[in-house]
Amino acid sequence: MKSRCCHVFVIFLVLLVAQPLSAAVCQSPGVVTNQHRDQAKRLFQRLAGVPPSATQLQEMADALACDDAGFAVNAANIALEDKHFYNVTLKNMVTPWTNEEQTVFAPLNDYTATVIGMVRDDKDFREILYGNYLYIGQGVSNLPAYSTTDNRHYEELEARHINLKDHLVETQQYYLPAHATAGVMTTRAAARAFFYAGTNRAMLRFTLMNHLCRDLEQVKDVTRPPDRIRQDVSRSPGGDSRQFLNNCLGCHAGMDPLAQAYAYYQYEYDSENDPDAQNGYIDYTEGQVQPKYLINDSNFPHGYVTQDDSWSNYWREGINQHLGWSDTLPGNGHGQGAKSMGRELAHSDAFAECQVKKVFRTVCLRKPVNSADRNRLSTMVDDFVQQHNYRLKPVFADAGLYCMEGQ
Amino acid sequence: MFVWRHLILAGLVMLLCACSSDSSNGPQTVTNPDTSQDNDSGDFVYAGPAARTDDVQQFRLNLWGNIIDDNRCGQCHSVEGGQAPYFARKDDVNEAYGAINSLVDLEVPEQSALVQKFNGGHFCWEVSNSVCAEVLTRWISDWADAATGAVTVVELTPPVIQEPGESKSFPQSNNAFATTVYPLLEQYCSDCHAEDAPFPQSPYFASSDVSAAYKAAQSRINLATPANSRLVVRLGEEFHNCWSNCSDDAAAMLAEIENFANGISAVGVNPDHVHSKALSLFDGLIASSGGRNEDNLIALYQFKTGSGSTAFDTSGIEPSMHLTLTGDYQWVGGWGITLSDGKAQAKVEDSRKLHELITATGEYSIEAWVAPNNVTQEGPARIISYSAGNNARNVTLGQTLYNYDFMHRSSTTDANGEPALSTADADEVLQATLQHVVATFDSVHGRRLFVNGELVASDEIEAGGLADWDNSYAFLLGSETSNEHRWRGVIRLAAVYNRALTEEQIIQNFEANVGERFLLLFSVSHLVDVPDAYVVFEVSQFDNYAYLFSEPFFVSLDDEADFSGIPVQGLRIGMNGNLANKGQAYVNMDLVLDSDNADEQGRIALSDIGTVIELDKGAGLDEFYLVFDRLGDESYPIIEAMPQAPNQTASAEEQSDIGIKTFDEINASMARMTSIDPTQVSDTFDRIKQQLPVVEDIQTFLASQQVGISQLAIEYCNRLVEDTARRSVYFPALDFSAPAGPASDPASAFYDPDVLTEPLIANMVGSGLDHDPDTATIKVELEQLVDELTRCGASCDAERTKTVSKAVCASLLASATTLLQ
Repeated sequence: MKSRCCHVFVIFLVLLVAQPLSAAVCQSPGVVTNQHRDQAKRLFQRLAGVPPSATQLQEMADALACDDAGFAVNAANIALEDKHFYNVTLKNMVTPWTNEEQTVFAPLNDYTATVIGMVRDDKDFREILYGNYLYIGQGVSNLPAYSTTDNRHYEELEARHINLKDHLVETQQYYLPAHATAGVMTTRAAARAFFYAGTNRAMLRFTLMNHLCRDLEQVKDVTRPPDRIRQDVSRSPGGDSRQFLNNCLGCHAGMDPLAQAYAYYQYEYDSENDPDAQNGYIDYTEGQVQPKYLINDSNFPHGYVTQDDSWSNYWREGINQHLGWSDTLPGNGHGQGAKSMGRELAHSDAFAECQVKKVFRTVCLRKPVNSADRNRLSTMVDDFVQQHNYRLKPVFADAGLYCMEGQ
Repeated sequence: MFVWRHLILAGLVMLLCACSSDSSNGPQTVTNPDTSQDNDSGDFVYAGPAARTDDVQQFRLNLWGNIIDDNRCGQCHSVEGGQAPYFARKDDVNEAYGAINSLVDLEVPEQSALVQKFNGGHFCWEVSNSVCAEVLTRWISDWADAATGAVTVVELTPPVIQEPGESKSFPQSNNAFATTVYPLLEQYCSDCHAEDAPFPQSPYFASSDVSAAYKAAQSRINLATPANSRLVVRLGEEFHNCWSNCSDDAAAMLAEIENFANGISAVGVNPDHVHSKALSLFDGLIASSGGRNEDNLIALYQFKTGSGSTAFDTSGIEPSMHLTLTGDYQWVGGWGITLSDGKAQAKVEDSRKLHELITATGEYSIEAWVAPNNVTQEGPARIISYSAGNNARNVTLGQTLYNYDFMHRSSTTDANGEPALSTADADEVLQATLQHVVATFDSVHGRRLFVNGELVASDEIEAGGLADWDNSYAFLLGSETSNEHRWRGVIRLAAVYNRALTEEQIIQNFEANVGERFLLLFSVSHLVDVPDAYVVFEVSQFDNYAYLFSEPFFVSLDDEADFSGIPVQGLRIGMNGNLANKGQAYVNMDLVLDSDNADEQGRIALSDIGTVIELDKGAGLDEFYLVFDRLGDESYPIIEAMPQAPNQTASAEEQSDIGIKTFDEINASMARMTSIDPTQVSDTFDRIKQQLPVVEDIQTFLASQQVGISQLAIEYCNRLVEDTARRSVYFPALDFSAPAGPASDPASAFYDPDVLTEPLIANMVGSGLDHDPDTATIKVELEQLVDELTRCGASCDAERTKTVSKAVCASLLASATTLLQ
């Protein structure tokens, strides 16, 4: 009796501690068929990118065969515990977000590592645009220390195929004041890619592309007021103002007042000795607008002159109000700095939908194509928001189970 | 200072004039007569009484001296001519001064009766009356500037009050749209301009939901002037994805928009709107009548005529160096020309004045307001040139991509003006937008280039002399005389000076801006309890397609007006009865007016932002008015209609449910299948990884990718077979010390090929699942391979055993069993 009590207690503890991942015990085991094994293999490969071991395959097949309601998710969780889910699947999903060329061959960096860590740790994924997170490697011998002026720390982690699931640890973006941190937007890699030279508009554009799944072409709205478009935008490109009124205006009217949130950020590097900006760092000049916001002021002297990092979301009106902006955030579409602007973006319906779409694409290897896909996607978005509290890992499990053969 | 410069110039030009007056080759510069010295050349010498006042003296220097000649006003309006008033009499400058005073307006020179005479068709010594009016205005302005020494402030005068006219508005129902314009849009534009297009392009006016399409199309349809609709212009003028012939397609679209528009009745401005009275552009007061420094000006083109094939030189310095326009050119509203594949060229004999006047001073400036069409032109593409062909020039201002080039012949440069002075590549100074460019040369600084008032390039070579300048060259814009090196863009002003402008003068001219500007006084007295109250905008025609509205302010023309606490919120610009649907830059305005905050002219600035508003019927035809969400106690906030929710119902093309693994997945899979640490194959992987698949789409698979996969597989298998410990675990029954004889040989390592094939299949293929490859078939294939590879005769030693093992391993590892997922 005593022995049985202990056994039940242990099971209880396991269930309590391990939720929601792995090691759950099936109360109504079913008969494992070849279909279960086929599904398990595909599920594992889609999530981890590699074939399962025999043990993994069997455990997953058992989980899929279990008659307990909702137990199948445990099969997906086994794959999500494999290091390749982090080292391969997540890394390759995130890497193109971290550079302008959108190449997946870019080296591992703090942007990618931070997303991987936040997924692993079941963080509220919206915080990738406003949280104060930085994930670095730990417990690895002879690993170069994290540096704000180079990427060697992460390149070494990648070159040595270090298990990111086990060796990433959470820290903070100590190189910035806490209120100036804005998730992955203020990582070194993002700064190098999108605060490098230019006008900082790239940071907004690529954030929209990567996290709201919309390029400027999809949010273009020529009916928005142009009062915040900077002086560097010609109102008559090539002597033809139609180009401005029908093209440039559509993007800049909404983009410029949002991108003003980055007015104090710059990626500094030695252009003489380091033309590729390999050894630059993110610079934050609180209260001082970066000169790049004021360049080419004679292109249209009557344009907007940036005074500070106040931002406004003009897309809360017009066709882009369908992006589903939050009506519970303070400021009602206005604020100061990248942090609150990142929150504005991340708390939109479009952000949630975009994350689920990206996961669907990664796991199912295709876009949603029919009403069944769209309905499922819609349910996944609802679950991401309401059931999973914006944790992304369960979304992978949902997508994997949906796209698993025979579902 | 300016007076002295005028005097110096007058004396200098007089000398030149006297020297060349009997020469048929040189130019004749008509300028102020010099009475300070005797003249025995036969020219007119003033022998009358001296000027009684400073003002008379300024009149004499700036105007009288220019008009007394017999080929100008002096022919008639002199004692000899007998046509009163005698303001061009030569015998007494004081009497002439008395006669002209009632004919000039020194505050607004262009409104002088003398100028208006030309506008009314009075005899003109030039081919165009407008040119005479302009030149005379310039002389009167010079007199006014010299007399007052201050910039003229435009005095605000009330306009005629008029109500905004009627206009057409989009109906609530989309029924008419659905049967006219929409079918064309749906048929030909839905591949892109719909939410469910493969690569959706906003606006979605071809949405499968006609209601959504209607909302999106409204900003692309001009009900007042259907031909100006963006939907028509994109096809007819910009050749945007026409479905047959662009002009036919544009005509078809225009016909449908006209059908749609004709069914809509014009109505007055929404009576609920809080709106001002109305004005057209030319109801405004001219705001740009001076401010430029034009000392030492010898040629000037402002392109004010707006039609014809001649661009007039209105510098007043003879001979007038008028330009003949040829090729593909257009006049630009608000002054200017667009050169698309054309040029504007002066006669050689007229151009000779540049040679004469510039070589006399040894310095010069070329000034221009230009908007290059693009930043891809090179050659350099000639913007302004005084040259004779592709390789012979006195001076050229050109464009090479993002750079301005300044080519100039001197004793330190060659006959082609090289080496050229160019702006730095990295600076990307030249932009495809309106820019003020000045090229100067003098013996101290050499060549210098200024863009938008800033010095952007200066010579590093010694300034040479101009003795080699050739007087047989022609002055022209937009091309080389050979008709090559064409430049494409807009020129809104071009000027030549025979002195190097100072930096201050350049900044002055940059800040004076270019083109015709008006102050439009929108009456709002009926909305607020302030007498003679106006919201004033400076308005100009920005280019052929838009107006520029800027520098709005509130003012009462009643000096005694005293007011406070008047709210101004949400200002919108209306045109021809409708609110402009693009460019409403003042909708966020939220101010409170208080007369205590007015400046010394009684003006309260409303915004420092300017905006461009699309031109509709044309300058002078378009009627503007202002609408406020709130002004004073009047309030009617304009609420935007809720946009249509995007349509998400259409299905995309069916996609494969099977994908291929990408590079990292392949690498990791091979590592797992062979039990080899991937760091051992890093060199190979890093070298070939970009050759491996990047996306999962199976349809993107290429033969070259298979080559890369094979290379990686060989490396993994090589590591596995060469690792004694690992291979003994992986292939426990395979004797790697045995020779690789045929399967029939009991001594062969492959006597039982299962010792090789079974471990490979177990680790790489799986356990015989329904969707795994058929292991029996694979086994047969692998055994055949072993059989072929072991037909090696005498060379079947133990080394061959490893080679065969690697090859068979790689053949399976590099196959679809690894690649597919």
